[in-house]
Amino acid sequence: MIVSWNQLTDYVRLDAPVEVLTERLALTGLNHESTEEVGGDLAIDLEVTSNRSDCLGHIGVAREISVVFGKPLRVPSPAPRTAGEPVETLAAVTVEAPDLCHRFTARVVTGVKVGESPWWLRKRLETLGVRPVSNVVDVTNYVMFECGQPLHAYDLDRLEGRRLVVRKARLGEKLTAINAREYALDPETLVIADAARAVGVAGVMGGLDTEVGPGTSNVLIEAAGFDAMSIRKTARALGLFSPASFRFERPIDPEIVDWASRRTAELILELCPDAVLHPGVIDVAAPAAPRAPIVLRLAQIPRVLGIEVEPAEVRRILEALGLKVLEADDRAIEVAPPSWRADLEREIDLIEEVARIHGYEKIVEDRPIPVASAPRGRRERVESTVRDALTALGLDEAVTFSLVEDALAAPVSAEGADLPPLRVSHSSRKRENALRRGLVPSLLAVRRHNETRGVADARVFEIADVYLPRGDGALPDEPARLAIAAGLDFRGLKGIVEALLRRLLIAEPLSARPAELPLFASGRSAELWLGETLLGWMGEVDAEVARTHDLRNACSAAELDLGALLDKARTVARYSPLASQPAVVRDLSLVLDRGVSWAEIEAVVRDHAGDSFRAAHYLDTFRGGDLGDDRQSVHFGLTFRRDDRTLTGEEVDAAVNAVVDACSRKLGAILRS
Amino acid sequence: MSTSTTGTLETALLDLDELQGEAVLAFESAASPEAVEAARVEYLGQKQGRLKAAQERLRTLPNQAKKSYGQRFNGVKQALEAACDAARARLARRTVGGDGIDVTLPGIAPRLGHRHPLSQTADELIDIFGRLGFAVARGPEVEDVHHNFDALNIPPVHPARDPLDNFFLPDGGMLRSQTSTIQVRVMESQPPPARVVAIGRVYRPDTVDATHSFMFHQIEGLFVAEGVTMGHLKSVLRLFAKSYLGEDVRIRFRPSFFPFTEPSVEIDMLWHGGRGWVEMGGAGMVDPNVFKAVGYDAERVTGFAFGLGIERLCMRRHGIDDIRLLYQNDVRFLDQF
Repeated sequence: MIVSWNQLTDYVRLDAPVEVLTERLALTGLNHESTEEVGGDLAIDLEVTSNRSDCLGHIGVAREISVVFGKPLRVPSPAPRTAGEPVETLAAVTVEAPDLCHRFTARVVTGVKVGESPWWLRKRLETLGVRPVSNVVDVTNYVMFECGQPLHAYDLDRLEGRRLVVRKARLGEKLTAINAREYALDPETLVIADAARAVGVAGVMGGLDTEVGPGTSNVLIEAAGFDAMSIRKTARALGLFSPASFRFERPIDPEIVDWASRRTAELILELCPDAVLHPGVIDVAAPAAPRAPIVLRLAQIPRVLGIEVEPAEVRRILEALGLKVLEADDRAIEVAPPSWRADLEREIDLIEEVARIHGYEKIVEDRPIPVASAPRGRRERVESTVRDALTALGLDEAVTFSLVEDALAAPVSAEGADLPPLRVSHSSRKRENALRRGLVPSLLAVRRHNETRGVADARVFEIADVYLPRGDGALPDEPARLAIAAGLDFRGLKGIVEALLRRLLIAEPLSARPAELPLFASGRSAELWLGETLLGWMGEVDAEVARTHDLRNACSAAELDLGALLDKARTVARYSPLASQPAVVRDLSLVLDRGVSWAEIEAVVRDHAGDSFRAAHYLDTFRGGDLGDDRQSVHFGLTFRRDDRTLTGEEVDAAVNAVVDACSRKLGAILRS
Repeated sequence: MSTSTTGTLETALLDLDELQGEAVLAFESAASPEAVEAARVEYLGQKQGRLKAAQERLRTLPNQAKKSYGQRFNGVKQALEAACDAARARLARRTVGGDGIDVTLPGIAPRLGHRHPLSQTADELIDIFGRLGFAVARGPEVEDVHHNFDALNIPPVHPARDPLDNFFLPDGGMLRSQTSTIQVRVMESQPPPARVVAIGRVYRPDTVDATHSFMFHQIEGLFVAEGVTMGHLKSVLRLFAKSYLGEDVRIRFRPSFFPFTEPSVEIDMLWHGGRGWVEMGGAGMVDPNVFKAVGYDAERVTGFAFGLGIERLCMRRHGIDDIRLLYQNDVRFLDQF
């Protein structure tokens, strides 16, 4: 809301510098955006919160100033002289949609001479950034900016039947607005019509045909009140926003309607001395519900604010703001709110009024709060460990958008891929409107961004939610995931996952089960399990997928369920005694079919290596050479140890022989010479 | 003691000093192993070395002088041997030659990853509020309108519910526009008192530019108990500001409007070196209607809530001038934190 310094002085004496004025207003509720000098006047831009529509006019702002600075407020009392036949003989109004129009008033002025506004009026409007049009139109704008009530002036002679009908639009009805654009009206649109057609979109914009122009001599002044929701919907639907619709979307003082109508008439008469205002007003109004008085218990003020405010000061503030004190004793004060403050309904509303005018700077800032223990929760601790471990392993943490284009919305597993991603409907997100079901595609996009900027291998991870539709209209499943992408092969990335699990003190062995997953190369991807819990998915990114992401360099990626990590992680380590006896390590090379996996070998070894066996560790695999296409040689080490004594060579030999035997029987393995 | 004895001893000691001076100089100035060896033979040689000669001189001295001379001789001998060793070591190092390294070359650094500045900021906030007794709470990002609006005292007619200003889903859900949804979930799930901070992503259809993003992060604080006042709110925010920004920080409340708090204020802070008040977030006393929606008795408990933008705090702290950098994940950017 832009206010003119000069116009404010019409209503309240301003004797503080503008900087002091705007600072005080900011600290009492009207935030200061800017002050600009406009031809000898000051245009002060104030931010008006949505609850304070009373300040969408100069008088409302002046009232705040009068309260804050303790100055009297002077509001004009328009009492225009009337003459001629009564208004009812010249025009008629019918409200067919009383639920959307709770009040409609019309006054008629005849014999106006439309022309340029006088200098003072043009000046005022220019300060507010409003283009002067003509004296009659300028007056309606001026009064709106004065009191917050929008008005409209019609050329009475162009109104079919000299009547106005407030109704919903007819099917297929169209209107050319005063901005010269034609609008197709939805049947839900509230319009102002004459006997034949719509002549204005109620509360938003008038029609071109019936606007006041150079040839106009008889004017109908509309001042009305409409349903805020209806106006908002219409303005949005038509993409048509005006200072009038902005005000009508908010509560307007129901008692200002007639004042604004009289004020408009008065100013038109002032500018057109030969014009005649006809006696009376057509006023179609639904009875307004009376507003209940509000009781403020004085003890509630320190209970909420933490400071005492003198009862006399409480009363002074409320009365200055226009509240009428109905009853008061030393414990409570009962008040009736003024018509322009629809936001004052409850006790707490009054406490806020007292607080902001009394001054928030008086609220103390040295109140101790009771001590409470709030140690980091499991989620925070585990997340922190994950971040520390992965950054120590050389990965950077990324934060990417969860609302993405389709290419980035794909899930990493095949499950749930049959349900399309959830989408937001908003005009600003035509393309990036899908809630992602996996994080890996976003990390591939991060790698691509970095590739184009000369970083060939951005190793990144992210912790974020994914959104899995449930398909039954319920809120989606929103599991938190940890995703990793790096220019490594399968084993390289699996090693990072294993190191992370070790850091999280997860003792349970990680098992990888071959799986065909949409983002990963065939035969090079796996589901990751911890016991019976699915931990996640990983693999080498499929070349075709990499191509669609414009990736130049090969990479692998993993996506883990953070919930599984939370379940399995230990946040407190437990010590186990260090081995006191030396271990014996033996290396073995077994030749077996290529189809035999390390997991199978390890399982056989574990089962047959005897009591003193401690661990098998993979070393490498040799393929080709004289082994042919079907066989491979797997090289691994076996560690043996007893806790009570040193092992003898013979014992270890026997255990190794048992392993070789078992591998030979169960896996068809031959010891490589 | 006779004069001649004294004179003889003095001369002998002076000779020893001279020998030491010459020998040390010879070792120090030796530029090759051969030169060191030559000096060793000359001074420390077993047969014809000058030290050997000096040792033999002992016998020519009067008995009274022998002890003094012997002590000084031992000192000189040690000094010469040390000088010889030092010279050898010095030349040995230099003769490593082709196997030597250029110690001025840069080290081979293992790659160190970096936590995202937003998660570092969030972590610091969680830490500070944790010390003030606020536990971390979480909630879903896809919300129903009950938690995002109704329970927060935002009635159906409120402009905040405008579809233009929110991301609605076709089935009636929406992306939460504020972390205040979590307050509601916390209070619905437990009786008072409640003291939590909620942290997470929020979504608003702002046009993306250097200071706006359609997705950003908030931290929301809530403290509900008997006897909680706006004075406590200001005190907690002041403690936070001091911890995060430094001792000489000032805090100011400006009236504002949020449906879920009343009174509602904007929080401004001014700290060391600042040119003006900086808006840090919104706050207020929990609106009685919110208490009603979650089944708390507004006559028994009061509470405050506040919300701070994590991006804003992070950008201020690190001097980041474009919010989009935070979501591009350019490694050249991430590696600065």
